[in-house]
Amino acid sequence: MLDIRWSVRIAQVPADRRCCMPEAIELHSLTRWYGKRRGVIDLEADVHEGEVFGFLGPNGAGKTTTIRMLLGLIRPSGGSARILGLDPWTQAPAVHRRLAHLGSDPGYLGDLEAATLLDHLGALRGLPRGAWQSLAERLDLDPRVPVKKLSRGNRQKVGVVSVFMGREPLLVMDEPSTGLDPLMQREFLALVAEARADGRTVFLSSHNLPEVERACDRVAIIREGRLVKIASVAALVGDHTRSVNLVLERPAAEGAFALPGVTVLSSTGQDVHLMVRGDINPLLRHLGELDVRDIAISTPDVEDLFFRYYEGTVAGSEGRAAAAGGPGIHVEAAP
Amino acid sequence: MMALSFRLELRRSRILGVGLAVVVLVYGGVMAVFYPILVANTAAITDYIKLFPKEFMAAFGMTGSLADPGIFFSTYIGSFLWPVVAAIAGIALATRPTAADAERGWSDLPLATPLTRGRYLGAAILGQVVVLGALAFVTVAGVISVGALVGAGFDVARFLAAGAVLWLFACAIAGVASLAAVITLSRSVSASITAGILIAMYLFNIVAQVQPDLAWLGDLSAFRYAGVGPLIDSGIADWVGIGVFSLVALAGWTASLVLFRRRDLLP
Repeated sequence: MLDIRWSVRIAQVPADRRCCMPEAIELHSLTRWYGKRRGVIDLEADVHEGEVFGFLGPNGAGKTTTIRMLLGLIRPSGGSARILGLDPWTQAPAVHRRLAHLGSDPGYLGDLEAATLLDHLGALRGLPRGAWQSLAERLDLDPRVPVKKLSRGNRQKVGVVSVFMGREPLLVMDEPSTGLDPLMQREFLALVAEARADGRTVFLSSHNLPEVERACDRVAIIREGRLVKIASVAALVGDHTRSVNLVLERPAAEGAFALPGVTVLSSTGQDVHLMVRGDINPLLRHLGELDVRDIAISTPDVEDLFFRYYEGTVAGSEGRAAAAGGPGIHVEAAP
Repeated sequence: MMALSFRLELRRSRILGVGLAVVVLVYGGVMAVFYPILVANTAAITDYIKLFPKEFMAAFGMTGSLADPGIFFSTYIGSFLWPVVAAIAGIALATRPTAADAERGWSDLPLATPLTRGRYLGAAILGQVVVLGALAFVTVAGVISVGALVGAGFDVARFLAAGAVLWLFACAIAGVASLAAVITLSRSVSASITAGILIAMYLFNIVAQVQPDLAWLGDLSAFRYAGVGPLIDSGIADWVGIGVFSLVALAGWTASLVLFRRRDLLP
């Protein structure tokens, strides 16, 4: 279970401050088809200026498609996206002056030294030579090594340095911490926290759930191209749900946990992971009839909630609607 | 910003450019060494060449005596070495900034900065112009330099003019490859398309020379316009060829720029 008091846990922006801010990103019915293949469908979301917004989903859910539309690299098939009030397709250079981007697997030019690469990308953004130096030292990146000789983690550091070395008000990152070791992940989250403290907006696409929980103010969950949930992390983890991990003496019978508000997240014989929404007493009474070796009840983390929206065996009404591709989006106001 | 992109383009072209420059320099130099021997044995070589069908030899640029500097250059460089070098360099350079860099994910990085797509590709095209020009110059310079050492007596100005035609020929290849790369965003597909067109045109030219009934095929071939023999030997430029190459290069690059600015850059 995650410790939400972790050192880089980010404080919430006060509601009175946020209400006056313009939106950093606005998505209205944003849709993209690749021929008959689904990209994303009818995305509706606002990312407030100054917040860290998580965009959660597994591979193929539509995260990268959304980011490519935000960057003006591809056009929407329908709907619209606005970045700081600008259209990323028709006003791409103006948008690009206001954002820094880190792709999920950037194809760096391997023959270039990290320093040369960062200087080049920095110069294109109007940054002075060596703007990356302090960050490279902080992330323990050797800038004199050709990129092709760097490990996956060190290549990812190049990307992290690149995105944070400027002063752009919006940072768009696609799975930024992939390949980073735990120490560097912590440093990355600290950088996100500092960016947020500076009033910069961070759009963070990820399938690293603990990272999202630690870094983000709000989270959108995307499933098969559709948004199924947008809520603050605090609201997500505190909506009267409990995560129940059971170890039984004997495997439970099929349908043993078919109780009101109870969702079976996983069941591997004797180990059962449940999500309980609402009153937990019916479950506790039912457990009295079973041979329980161990039980752990906790508030669910983002990971539990993510799977709740993703599992095909969702019991909640939101999940069923989302699974059907219907209007299952569940939006909660930012704090 | 365009200058930054242009500098990087040149930097990335160093290995390919230097590698091909060494090849053309060595090959051109060696051929130039042999030129005085060809001149000294003109009669014997002419008799030998007569053993082959005239049309067949014409298909490879041999339409006169190898002792003529223009026929010599056209045969060994213009019709043999340069098409290969121009195809390799033109295709490799022109498919890189759009197709290859989109495939590897590099182009997303500069294109997510204030650098516009037009300037990004414009810088790359400028890089192609410079590198192909340098290669054409080195090709001619190698022949001229070694020719001077062995007393070949080549006309420097006419050889340099021939180098300009070689350059335009390579630019035309790059223009077509650039357009194919922007359309397909696939390096292998765009390179195959361009190489296929070149091979087809090479065959058209041969067939047109060997089969008089199919002479019209020659008009469809770039190689029909690539001969620099008359330019070196008589100072007569083939303005139609120069115009065709220039037009194809400019049209290909311009269409690439227009399309690249408008198209989706799919991962």
